[in-house]
Parts: sequence; C-alpha cells; structure tokens
Amino acid sequence: MNEEKIKQELEDKFSYLKDLVNIKRKGRIFAQVPLGEFNTVFAYAVKKMGFLALSAITGLDRGDGVFEVIYHLNKEGRVLLNLSVMLNKGNPEVNTVTSYCPSADIYERELMDLLGIKVNGLAPGHRYPLTDDWPKGEYPLRKDWKGNSGTPFPGKEAKNA
Amino acid sequence: MHESGDVKIPIGPQHPALKEPESFLISLRGEKITASSVRLGYNHRGIEKACEERTYTQGLYLIERICGICSHSHSTCFVQAVEEIAGLEVPARAKYIRTLIAELERMHSHLLWLGVAGHEIGFDTLLMYTWRDREVVMDLLAALTGNRVNYGINTIGGVRRDINSKQKEEILGAMDILEDRTKYYIDLAKGETTLIKRLQGVGILSHEDAEKLDAVGPTARASGIERDVRKDDPYAAYAELDFKVISVNSCDVYGRTLVRLGELMESFNLVRQVMRKIPEGPILVKPPRKIPAGEVVSRYEAPRGEDLHYVRSNGTEKPDRVKVRAPTLANIQSVSKMLEDRYLADMPIVIAAIDPCFSCTDRLVALRDAESEKKNTVAWETVRLKGVEWYKNRGVDFTSLNKKLTKLFQHA
Amino acid sequence: MGIISKIINWSRLKSPWVLHFNTGACNACDIEIIAALTPRYDLERFGVVLKATPRHADILLCSGPVTKQIESRLLRIYEQMPEPKFVVAIGTCACSGGVFNGCYNVCGGINSVLPVSAYIPGCPASPKAIIDGVVKLLQSLEVKETKNERRKD
Repeated sequence: MNEEKIKQELEDKFSYLKDLVNIKRKGRIFAQVPLGEFNTVFAYAVKKMGFLALSAITGLDRGDGVFEVIYHLNKEGRVLLNLSVMLNKGNPEVNTVTSYCPSADIYERELMDLLGIKVNGLAPGHRYPLTDDWPKGEYPLRKDWKGNSGTPFPGKEAKNA
Repeated sequence: MHESGDVKIPIGPQHPALKEPESFLISLRGEKITASSVRLGYNHRGIEKACEERTYTQGLYLIERICGICSHSHSTCFVQAVEEIAGLEVPARAKYIRTLIAELERMHSHLLWLGVAGHEIGFDTLLMYTWRDREVVMDLLAALTGNRVNYGINTIGGVRRDINSKQKEEILGAMDILEDRTKYYIDLAKGETTLIKRLQGVGILSHEDAEKLDAVGPTARASGIERDVRKDDPYAAYAELDFKVISVNSCDVYGRTLVRLGELMESFNLVRQVMRKIPEGPILVKPPRKIPAGEVVSRYEAPRGEDLHYVRSNGTEKPDRVKVRAPTLANIQSVSKMLEDRYLADMPIVIAAIDPCFSCTDRLVALRDAESEKKNTVAWETVRLKGVEWYKNRGVDFTSLNKKLTKLFQHA
Repeated sequence: MGIISKIINWSRLKSPWVLHFNTGACNACDIEIIAALTPRYDLERFGVVLKATPRHADILLCSGPVTKQIESRLLRIYEQMPEPKFVVAIGTCACSGGVFNGCYNVCGGINSVLPVSAYIPGCPASPKAIIDGVVKLLQSLEVKETKNERRKD
C-alpha cells in the first residue's frame, strides 16, 4: 500500500485539497476537506479509491466556535484515511453517509446526541447513547457544557449540579 | 422493519448470564424473526467527557475500566496513542510484556466466550469446563500484574511490572496445560454432533454483508475477511513475532467458534515466542507531564476485534478529546442481519457469537393492558392473585387450603 | 418461633437464589460473579443458584454505577422480586460510584436508588470477596432471626 500514491491521487483529483492532505505515519493519512466539497470527496474515496470500511466517526468541539467531524475510513484494514470537515457551531449540519456506509448510522446518532450536530437524511430511530428523557439542548461533549462532567474529585456542589 | 401485524418481543436489558445490558426488539411471525432492532446506551457512563477533565495518567485508569474483559486492549490502545503524540520510544521489553498480557487476555476472553456459547445452547458442562480452565490464565494474570481483571500494567512510556525467570517457567507450564485442554475443545467442536448441529448454518453473515457492515475481529474472520490489526498494522511486538491469521469461510456461528479456538492455539504459540525472544532492558521511560499538541488514531486487535482510539492533545496535561470505538459497536450492527429469517430459539447464540454475550432468557416484563394500552409493570402480588383466579375459573381452588396455611403461619 | 417459620427460615438461608444485573458496570465484576459460580470457587455449594428472572430471585446482585438509562429498569426489576428481597452491591462502582462518580450519565452507587444489604468493594471484587460477602449476608440474616426470637420470648 502506498500512502504517497493515495495522497497524490486525492490532490490530483481535487485541486482544493493541495497542502491539506498529510501523511502522519505509515498507514495514517489525514485530510481536511472543505464543507461544501465533502460529499464529493467522501463518495470518491469510498467508491473509487476502495476505502470501503468506515471505522468510526469522531466529533469534537475545537473550542473556538468550530466543530470538527472526522470520518475514519480504512482500506482493507491497512490504511486509515481520516477525512475531517469543519462546521460552524451556530449551525452544525452534515449529510448522512449511511448510503455509502450503512454502519455509519450509530456513529451519526452519537454525533447528534453528544454534540448536537444535525445529520440530514438519517432515518428516524432510537437515540444513542443518551436516555430518552435527556433534556433538549444539552450536549455533553460541547466544551461550554456546564453539566456535571465527572471531575476527578468532585465537591458537593459538583455532585449536585 | 417492524410491521404492525407481527408479534413484538422486547428482550433485555436484564439478562442472567453476563455482560452489557442492551435491549432488543424482535418482531416475530410464527417462530421466525422478521425484524430486529437494538437499543444501546444502558452502559453509557460518559467516559469520553470524563477523560477531558482528567490528566493522561488519571484518564488511563478510567480507560482501563471501559470494559473489564478487554481492559488491557483499551489501555494499550490509549497509551500507544499518547506515546505516539509525545514521540516516546517505548523500550522493547515493555512492548513484549504488553504483548504477553494481551495474548493472555485473549486466552481468557476466548475461553470465557466458549463457555458462554456453551451456556447459550444449553451445554452447561462446557461452561463449567472452560471456566475452570480459564482460572489457569487468571492465576497467571494475577501473578504477573497483581489483579485478575483490570490489570493496571500499562502506563504511559512502558509497563509497571517486570517479569522474572520463575514467572517465565510458570507461564510456559500453564501454556502446556491450556494447549492440552484447547486441543480437547477443538476435538469436541469437530466431533460432537449436538454442538455441530446447533451451530452450523446459524447466524449467517455473508462475506459481502460482513464487508458492507464493517464487521471486525472473529466475526469478520469467520466470514472470510482476513483482517487482523496485529498483522495489518503491527503494534507492540507483533511485527517481530510469527503467527497466522485464522479465518474460515463458513460465515456462521460454527465458523466463529472455530476461529476463536484456532486463535487460542495461535496465542499459546505467541506467548512461547514472547518468552523466547523477550530482550533484557528497562521497562519504562519517563513521560513528559505535558503532552505536545497533536492528533493520533491508534488501533489494537482486541479479542473481539479492532479497537480504535482517537486522541487529540492540546499541549496541556489533559487531553482535548478522546474517542473510543470499541469492537462490539462495530459488530452489533451486523446482528440484525444475522437474525433475519432465523428462529427465535437461535437468537441467544447468534447474539453471543459476536461476543457481547447477552443471554436472552432475560426479559423485563412490561405488560400492556389490552383495553387502556397503558404500559405497566406488574408486581409480584398481582401476578399471584391473577394466577389464583385463573385456576379458580378452571375448577381448581386453593382458597381453603391457603386459608389453613395462613392460619398455621400466623400461629407460627 | 414455631416450627414452620424455622423451616422457612432454614430453607431461605440454605437456598438463596440470586439474580445478577449489570447496572452499567465494565463487565469486570460481572465475569467475577460468574467465576465465583463456576467450579474453582463454586458459590453453589452454599445453595446459591443464578436465576434468570427476578420473579425467582431472593437476592439481587448489582454491579456497576447506576447509569441514568438503567435506573428505571433497576427499579422495575426490584419491584418484580418477591419479598423478602436483598440487594448486594458488588464492586467499588456499585458501592459508591467509584471512578465514575460524578460522570454526567451516572447516578452513583446502588444505594442512591435501592436499599442495599451488603457491600462488596474491590475493583473488581474478587470471587473470594464475593463468596465472603454473600456468606456474611446470610449470616446476618441468621442473627436477625435469632434476635427476633429472643425478643418474642
């Protein structure tokens, strides 16, 4: 498997990815994709480049009003292509990728529950992983979430929060 | 999808045998399952958030407690990520010790699974046999790490305990015992008709479906996908060790059993190699207190499949984000496929075969009142009274006997 | 104490049936409970039998901190058990919440939801500790009965 080749192919195909693809080490490629182009790049990686398996989707709050969603794709279990996309915290929205990878379902539900990212086109279903009666508008993984987050040695106030 | 004409049965989250509480909703037409869906999250404790509030070392102990059965998997995966960000060069001896514990963990996990699988098909003798043999591994783990489960041997930069030559001998001795026993189980799996009849052709997950649904670990390898992180993306000492990736093409529960048994044999082989090749030297390098900014994806072949951790650091002593994708989460999505068009009675073994090990004699009764459609649980007393009435209507009346008995009790 | 209650009490002490429920544990305590029931430790020699349904159980073995999602289910299971019933908290998490104390989806120890009769700490509680705990619980029941007897006399 040649990481350089994959990088080259991505950059040749999508000119805006120049300097945004980087090889961290053997088998780990990180690429930052502009939001508008994400679906095209994702579809190309899955359909044309053979990154058939989706290992996971990570959502994170960068703290500066930007959410980042990282799709960990892998090719035959050997090379991981991590496609990341930046979202505006005011209006975080991504399109579902379940049509390419059916297993994305559970990770996308996690994005919705823990970070409050809207996933367009996701079939209705159970919540995951929070309870059904979890209050609306509370997203535990957001950095500004004030709920109880399990500080190592909670005082009384923290416990009751 | 669930259709309105079918009988729906909720299963879980309480279950007698083992492990995580999850609940399934099964639609039935006759004896056949037409649809199933799974509800997860009963075990969600918020570890990912809690890790952000703790330092790397504190977080490590939390990560270890994600799962008690593959605690070494998660902690190794996490420390590997942190070490990669910090650019730490872990001593070779530490890597070998990690590999040793990892393989011992695989043994105890696979033996545990074999017992649970036996239990699910009503073969409790197998459960008792394998769990007795499993104690040999547990003794080794307790001797090497100080704890039977949640070993706490990993630390950032290496391992916390060394092994000596006496322990080496003990390990090699135990391997001989276990290999002997495993050979017996392999014979059993290949020759015992009840076992074969009960497992063959059950829980089919075709090669295409396994690939499409991103199955991992023994579940995928039983569907002919030769994928093993130890081989594909070697970590710890696996690059220097010689082993086979076991895979079969039968795509059923029987195949998953054979894969796990084969992996047990490979694990004995690996441990012997580790004992032969382990180099002398230090077991720990001192890690920096603050980890430089960076992001890393770390992978590890847990007994159940690929474990994946994503760690992002921001230059402080606490991580910015820790994301954990446990193997069961990847495999649980193929369960619905495996259950399709199968008999209800096969459900326990099919679910257990991916090794989250639910048993489903479990149930949580939420009865619906036929008239008001109101959901309610029924207390013990109500059920008893209903039973008394049911028998009364059929001409069996225990009331007078009951009265006598009550009187007797009051006297007593 | 009459002969019948003596028999009932004797049989209760000699055949405690247990139900195991994972209330959000990491599985470590759960596998140790099973290990305690299997040949090496053999808790069954005290008459302890693992049952599949709360309707048959006398003792509820809980492991793990109570997660928010499991809380209502735990209560339901407890309600379905026949009287007299006892709850045993197995493992540090079940005793106090342990390392997960304060996490947003965790209520804390079992005692924040149910009355607990015995606590067995340890991370995870070893099979030996579990046997010790269960035997101590049975002993305490015995003592209670004899105390009642004295009071009556």
